[in-house]
Amino acid sequence: MLYTKNILSCILLLPLIGAFVLAFIPSSNKSLLRSVALNCSCLTFVLSLLLWVFFNKSIGTFQFVEKFFWIPILNFNFSIGVDGISLFFILLTTLLIPTCLLASWDTIRFDLKKYLISFLVMEFFLIGVFCVLDLLLFYIFFESVLIPMFLIIGIWGSRERKIRAAYFFFLYTLLGSVLMLLSILYIYAQVGTTDYEVLLTFSFSPLEQKIMWFAFFASFATKVPMVPVHLWLPEAHVEAPTAGSVILAGVLLKLGTYGFIRFSFPLFPEACFYFAPFVYAMSVVGIVYASFTAIRQSDFKRIIAYTSVAHMNLVMVGLFSFNIIGLEGAILQSLSHGFVASALFLIIGVVYDRHHTRMVKYYGGLVHTMPIYVLIFLFFTMANIGLPGTGSFVGEFLILTGSFKANTTVTFLSATGMIIGGCYALWLFNRIAYGNLKTQYFKNYLDINEREFLIFFPLLLGTLVMGIYPNIFLDSIHFSVNMLVELMYF
Amino acid sequence: MRIETLLFKEVVILPELFLGISLIYLVLHCTFLAIRKNYPLIQNSVLYLGVLVLSLSCFLVLNDGLDVLELSVLNDTIVNDYIGFSSKLIIGSLSLFCLLMMQPYLISQKINQFEYILLILFAVLGLFLLCSSNDLLTAYLAIELQSLAFYVLASFKKNSTYSVDAGIKYFILGAFSSSLFLFGASLIYGVTGTINFEEFRDLFSNSFPIILDQTSFFDGSLVQFGLVLILIALLFKLAVAPFHTWAPDVYEGSPSSSTFFFAVVPKLAIFVLLLRIFYYSFFGFFESWRYFLVVTVVLSIIVGSFGGLEQRKLKSLLVYSSISHMGYALIAFSAGTFESIQMLFGYLVVYSFSGLCVWSIFTITRLRNNHLQKQNKDLTDLVSLNKSNYMLAIFFTTVLFSVAGFPPMIGFLVKISVFLTAIESSMFFVALISILCSVVGTFYYIRLIKILYFEKVLVGMLYYPIKAQSSLLISMLFFLLLFLFLNPTLLYLFSYKISLLISTAV
Repeated sequence: MLYTKNILSCILLLPLIGAFVLAFIPSSNKSLLRSVALNCSCLTFVLSLLLWVFFNKSIGTFQFVEKFFWIPILNFNFSIGVDGISLFFILLTTLLIPTCLLASWDTIRFDLKKYLISFLVMEFFLIGVFCVLDLLLFYIFFESVLIPMFLIIGIWGSRERKIRAAYFFFLYTLLGSVLMLLSILYIYAQVGTTDYEVLLTFSFSPLEQKIMWFAFFASFATKVPMVPVHLWLPEAHVEAPTAGSVILAGVLLKLGTYGFIRFSFPLFPEACFYFAPFVYAMSVVGIVYASFTAIRQSDFKRIIAYTSVAHMNLVMVGLFSFNIIGLEGAILQSLSHGFVASALFLIIGVVYDRHHTRMVKYYGGLVHTMPIYVLIFLFFTMANIGLPGTGSFVGEFLILTGSFKANTTVTFLSATGMIIGGCYALWLFNRIAYGNLKTQYFKNYLDINEREFLIFFPLLLGTLVMGIYPNIFLDSIHFSVNMLVELMYF
Repeated sequence: MRIETLLFKEVVILPELFLGISLIYLVLHCTFLAIRKNYPLIQNSVLYLGVLVLSLSCFLVLNDGLDVLELSVLNDTIVNDYIGFSSKLIIGSLSLFCLLMMQPYLISQKINQFEYILLILFAVLGLFLLCSSNDLLTAYLAIELQSLAFYVLASFKKNSTYSVDAGIKYFILGAFSSSLFLFGASLIYGVTGTINFEEFRDLFSNSFPIILDQTSFFDGSLVQFGLVLILIALLFKLAVAPFHTWAPDVYEGSPSSSTFFFAVVPKLAIFVLLLRIFYYSFFGFFESWRYFLVVTVVLSIIVGSFGGLEQRKLKSLLVYSSISHMGYALIAFSAGTFESIQMLFGYLVVYSFSGLCVWSIFTITRLRNNHLQKQNKDLTDLVSLNKSNYMLAIFFTTVLFSVAGFPPMIGFLVKISVFLTAIESSMFFVALISILCSVVGTFYYIRLIKILYFEKVLVGMLYYPIKAQSSLLISMLFFLLLFLFLNPTLLYLFSYKISLLISTAV
């Protein structure tokens, strides 16, 4: 029997230790830097797999709980723990970070050391967001993620618009989340603590709930992103380096949905029911609008970015159906979106590394020269549409089933998003993969190499497993979601 | 050490006495050294003598504080208590850092007169007295001592029009605000017949406003008027919003080392005086000046956040940053609870130390193209900092995030504790406006970070390497700030003790 008591804090601290070690390696020794960073993140992933192995699937409460004193005078303590909801988000993070490091193995030309350090520090913050059990600390981690991401977009971004994109990303998110900070402070002033498990036992008056729900919503909706505040996302995605886009689509967008599940739902249940029609309306607009917008984009990354907006809004519909099926579907769809969207960004990264353009019109007929690449691309395009057998299908199906119980019209309208999704995904795949090979633009005909295949393989496997036998994920999620729904209704 | 056993009670002002006497000695010493025929440059030796004197008096302060008891001497004009002790200690260490950090700047700008260092020491003496003053007149004299030193420091570059202009502006507006202070003090004296804080406190205890309605023993409105005048005078010194207009010109015009000193050090002492007057003595009038202060707070946060957006020069940017930071500090001041004093002190200490960090990075880095005597004035001059000294750039970034109040830094903790006091005393509107403005304020800090990292640099290595001494001090400061985030208990315990003392009246 392994000693599992401190495994969570090990997972949390390992990336930070790795970043610290990297700081002392001379920046000229690039291969050592890369291997230290990769080994550290892989070790974190293995440890988080152990977390899953030792996770007790038959209880819905928090496990691996650890508490440390931080500011005892003000009653702020550092407590961490995982339940079924956060477990897979941690796994997703720890899987995607080594993938990102591999994806940018030799595309980063300058400041490699800072790049690796920012990725490891970001991993620390992201794991922190998902496992922390204190509202204030959640906010601290939630905001801290901005700093490394801001630097990654700004320093290693691709074009001159990168500064604008970095500002957009930073200020949109910050503006949303300061409102959340105010309501966290209000909660602290009312309850006297920000400990999550204590807060669950406290109920606010309806007016307080509505105001604070809205403040939280401002923060999380910017992250998801919901429609009027989604503007930062295409900018940030287009300008970020490939690995940055992967993290952005794979994990950062999930902070929004995770925040809704973890905090808005159990703390302000009445306000959630009150505002559900509002969220439905916004999400449906988001799905349809983002899908149509995706059709008329000319930039490869922008298309996938708008796809992300559409899918995440579908997740929102699933969340606000407030039943177990919908919520589980939403979590599963978040995970599968984390796999599929990051794989699509990696696919863009592969051709971008070879041809240095993201314009769709310069590509064509890649199937003639890059068959393996096109196969992987086809698989993830199908997963993006939600073909049965992939994780997205299970997620979308559960979401639509759940929301059918709550609101049939919304189900109908959001299902149209899937049809339009078929349009843009197939259109994009068709333009890139088939047709004549545009030899006038191409100089480089290499298919993907071993490293790139290794990047795609875990994502491919994960998507397939999630589609064929989703129960291994749903088993662990089930009891926590059950508890959450009970908390909301009673 | 009990009070009864002391033969010579004035021993409690030993640090001030020591500092004053050594200053007089230093004046004589330097004059005799400097009038030799070959005009030797004694600036470095004076600096180290000044550092020695200052550290010795800090040591004396520390010695006093080992057994802090509330003890007033010299006919109750000066008091020694925990708040005075701790603020003197902080001010002393801040000015020590300042003196050591400004040395490369003084050498490069050829500020060779020994008076410069002595004036700084005089200002420190004034600040020490300000921290422990126990009546309005002593406070006035202490303010004047430090302000006169500041006027001269501001106009020290005699051949620069900007510097002289800054000095004169500072002098006129400073004198104006001092006269307001005196007017207010005389009004209060006219009504009550006393200027001592203890006696004010006995007169205007918590129940005073009720007495005010029943009897006409005092003219309460005159006292209120006097208090508002004093408040305005002190807000002038703090440069908060409606009274801030002198600050950008003065800060921009005066030599950077002077700006460094009077941007970082004196705020804490002024806040100590504010606390002594408005909390310790006149807390009964809390409601009457509170709303006035809240308006000031909102205004200064708005002005500080939006005014900084269009600044292209580093010093002006830091002025606006300090205006908005004083606004945040005054939020805690206007909340009027026990916790608010605690948070206020935490905020001020962190503000001073992070300000010290920013300013010292700004003063110790020197551009290589020195032909125009041009130091890094514009924001864009920082563009090559990352190339030439990337560790310093990382420190600078971290401290900027801390000053902006961004999460994993101590600046965030103290900022949210200020907002917390606002919410606890139901100032929701103020909290909302200031937190939204803080987002706007963040923009200009991240613009600095953009300049540091995101822009393409064509020429590298434009900075002189910094000295080992400065880099040691900077990293000490940096790790202090990091440590305070990991273990903020230290900060809160210390400010808890201060608020215990002040809030006996609350």
